[in-house]
Amino acid sequence: MAARGVRWFVAAAAAAALIAYAALYGRLAADPPPIRSDGYSYYVYLPAAFIYDDPSLEALSREWYGGSFPDFTGIRRWPSTGRWVNLHPIGTAVLEAPFFVAADLLTRWSNFPRDGFSVYYQHAAALAGLAYFLAGLAILRRLLSRHFTPGVVLATLVCVTWGTNLFHYGVYDASFSHAFAFFLTCAWIALVDVWWREATPGRSAALGAVAALIVLTRHTNAIFLLVLPLFGVERWSDVGPRVRALLGRRGALALAALVGAVCVLPQLALYRFATGAFIVNAYDTHEMGFSFASPHVGAVLFSTQKGLFFWSPILLLSVAGAAVARGWTRTLTLAAVVVFALQTYLVASWAQWQYGATFGHRAFTDGLGLAAPFMASTFEWAAARRAPRYAIAIAATAAVLLSIAQMTQYWIGVLPTADTTWAQYRALFLRFR
Amino acid sequence: MTRRAWIAAAALALGGALAYLREPPWTEAVTSGLRPWEEDPPGTPFRWTFGRATFFAPAGAASMTLPLRAVFPGPGGAPVTVDVRVDDRWLATIALPDPASWVESTLPLGRRAGRRYRRVDLRVSRVVPPFMLGVMTGRVSFR
Repeated sequence: MAARGVRWFVAAAAAAALIAYAALYGRLAADPPPIRSDGYSYYVYLPAAFIYDDPSLEALSREWYGGSFPDFTGIRRWPSTGRWVNLHPIGTAVLEAPFFVAADLLTRWSNFPRDGFSVYYQHAAALAGLAYFLAGLAILRRLLSRHFTPGVVLATLVCVTWGTNLFHYGVYDASFSHAFAFFLTCAWIALVDVWWREATPGRSAALGAVAALIVLTRHTNAIFLLVLPLFGVERWSDVGPRVRALLGRRGALALAALVGAVCVLPQLALYRFATGAFIVNAYDTHEMGFSFASPHVGAVLFSTQKGLFFWSPILLLSVAGAAVARGWTRTLTLAAVVVFALQTYLVASWAQWQYGATFGHRAFTDGLGLAAPFMASTFEWAAARRAPRYAIAIAATAAVLLSIAQMTQYWIGVLPTADTTWAQYRALFLRFR
Repeated sequence: MTRRAWIAAAALALGGALAYLREPPWTEAVTSGLRPWEEDPPGTPFRWTFGRATFFAPAGAASMTLPLRAVFPGPGGAPVTVDVRVDDRWLATIALPDPASWVESTLPLGRRAGRRYRRVDLRVSRVVPPFMLGVMTGRVSFR
């Protein structure tokens, strides 16, 4: 039964996602459209380069907005050069490209406006996010199935998909970067796992390409690359052998670095063209930055505004999993602890620590693939013990149902998109009008 | 089903989908670059364009009447102009000298064999920030 559930899980998630997507965006003039807010600035490189023949964004801005960009796009002119700088890098657009090409061909075929934002382009960008969300789940299923029983794998997949904001970012805000980043993180963990078993040239090249895409999708997600050196390090005495192992694979690492460098070149060239420098903080144009001395750690993790565990309490099982993990997951523990500690500190230090309008805390959606094995470890631990088994099953079911209910509230506009207070949360609890 | 049968079924489905999408029945309702409908106080429905906008006209229509209103003048008080193209061919350039007045232009569409709808693209000479407003378009009528 559970094995069949695991086998059909991605198909079932796909069916649920497509039904939800049709309900949200099935109307021709869906308002808001799928490409909006951050989704716009992640996507805009594609029409700029392939329809308006100008990756600098100048032609597109002239054509649509008389030579400027709406404020919500976050695209501003760099003071010293007067050229457009996008807050968001090109990685999401690179991953969306096959869907964009299909939409463009279909647009020509149907004689629809080839403007980059008409109906097929809108759905292509969103369905790209949906597809990568499902691809990430497929990789995660494969990864978990190697190390856990079907029952544990199925429970984990259900909880990660619907107990967190992953489904939301695979469907509702699918044109944002998070579904793409989730896929890349899952692919990264799977690749690191096989690369440490045998570093073939193909695996090393793939490692470089995926690492580059991770950085290109969200620069701060570079912290996930730490999984590579930290994978398998469980105690201090493992550090020396790990360093020697890395040195022993310097040829494979050089190949990965070369492929990665080639992949990030277009972004560096774009930064250089727009600003005169290869390395840029695009947020300088918004006067936003980090306050490392006063991070909002408590608020990021527990607040009603966007607290990770407040909105996705199921992830507490991942925290517990770090303590009870065994076998393969144990070898991932240090990497996960370091990555999530760094991520929490970075997010909490960021001027916009709530990350704007979001369901739950979207900064952590990208790393759910790394959190999943630890959630599975908790389920595995509980499955072997009678009392915890029932307690965790009941708590997990409640957390998933609550998350689905709150996601629905967010979709229909009942929940505020940001700055939710405890009074508001209580007043709106399980209300759907 | 054999692998060959799967491929044949997929090819058939793809062919059917492409034939349907060549000119789907909802083409007439497709627009791009137009904000949702609003209403001017006297009861005139309109939509704001961005710098470019698109709607569809029935291929059988001989002409269309296109109501436009600039609201905001062009740079230096110059008239706002709107280029009208049909299926990528230039049709007319409409000047809107008085920003406050609606200008109703009746434009010949000609006929086109092979398709049931014709694509009408508008390009506006200026856009007003911060809301990126092009011009107001009223209800387009076809004859």
